[in-house]
Amino acid sequence: MAVLVLVRSPLPRLRALLQRCWGRLERGLWPGVFGGQSPPWGPAVAVQGPALVPRGWSDAEAPSPLESVLWMAAPKQRRTIEVNRCRRRNPNKLIEIKRNIDVCPECGNLKQKHVLCGYCYAKVKEETRLIRMEIYKKEGGPFNTPTVETVVLYEGEKPTEKDEGKRIIERARKRPSWFVQN
Amino acid sequence: MRLSVVAAISHGRVYRRFGLSPRSRLDLLRNLVTALVRHERIETPWARADEMRGYAERLIDYAKRGDKDERAMRMADFWLTEKDLVHKLFKVLAPRFQPHPGSYTRLLQIPNRDGLDRAKMAVIELKGNPLPPLVRPRRDSDKTLLNQLLKGYRQDAQRAAAA
Repeated sequence: MAVLVLVRSPLPRLRALLQRCWGRLERGLWPGVFGGQSPPWGPAVAVQGPALVPRGWSDAEAPSPLESVLWMAAPKQRRTIEVNRCRRRNPNKLIEIKRNIDVCPECGNLKQKHVLCGYCYAKVKEETRLIRMEIYKKEGGPFNTPTVETVVLYEGEKPTEKDEGKRIIERARKRPSWFVQN
Repeated sequence: MRLSVVAAISHGRVYRRFGLSPRSRLDLLRNLVTALVRHERIETPWARADEMRGYAERLIDYAKRGDKDERAMRMADFWLTEKDLVHKLFKVLAPRFQPHPGSYTRLLQIPNRDGLDRAKMAVIELKGNPLPPLVRPRRDSDKTLLNQLLKGYRQDAQRAAAA
């Protein structure tokens, strides 16, 4: 038989919290709850204590195993293959089909609508890598970034009047069709 | 008495968590900003690029104030770990973006990373960079039905105006 027992709070943090609340109460932040009198006992915690008044135990026999063992859920019947199929093939378990796949107008590879084409990006990435190699060769060492803009010129190209004062990076090949000079 | 559940719910939090600690997150983003200013186009996980974008644009806004400004110089000094990039920021990027009121970066998603994690990757670049363009602006083809009809209409209107 369980009995409600009031004991002093063993946890210091909880006791501190309760003491703060009690302090607020006493200082009148919650007026009307108490008449201003300090109660005879401090904050306490109600815990469910063990059966302190065991009665009737000596008279009764020992509990049978069927009452003291812990019962757990288990399936009663084998799930048939039809039921299993319904569960496994339910639309929410299947992979959703993507309807945002398109054809890249430049190269004809497949791409997702909101993502860049993989082939075209690889092309641009390779060209950027080669341009950066030329830049590193021109700069010589680390931390030599110039304080002027850069322009990339291919074979047989002359700098225009817009490229005044810019650092020129030469690439030893013909200008690719997708890199428009502006 | 209020037992706050601040730690458990994250409604309205705008900043993502990266790295080992808030300071580590800032260091990570700072490295990315430095790399962006140096190379003008970097490829990184989408979340990091998205987070870094705001910081990079604000840095350029500070740089537009000019290098005589004390706060701008302190910001550039903190955010750019390689000090030759401070010169590039104030002398190259600030004049380049002076006419633009905002949005100095472009963030585009690329196919997922090839490694085991298949991470969502993005490429972030400063506008006006000298590198080859990532996306070519496409004009609508003239051969579509709607464009052919509009062309016919325009020609009819011209003929009617001429006659």
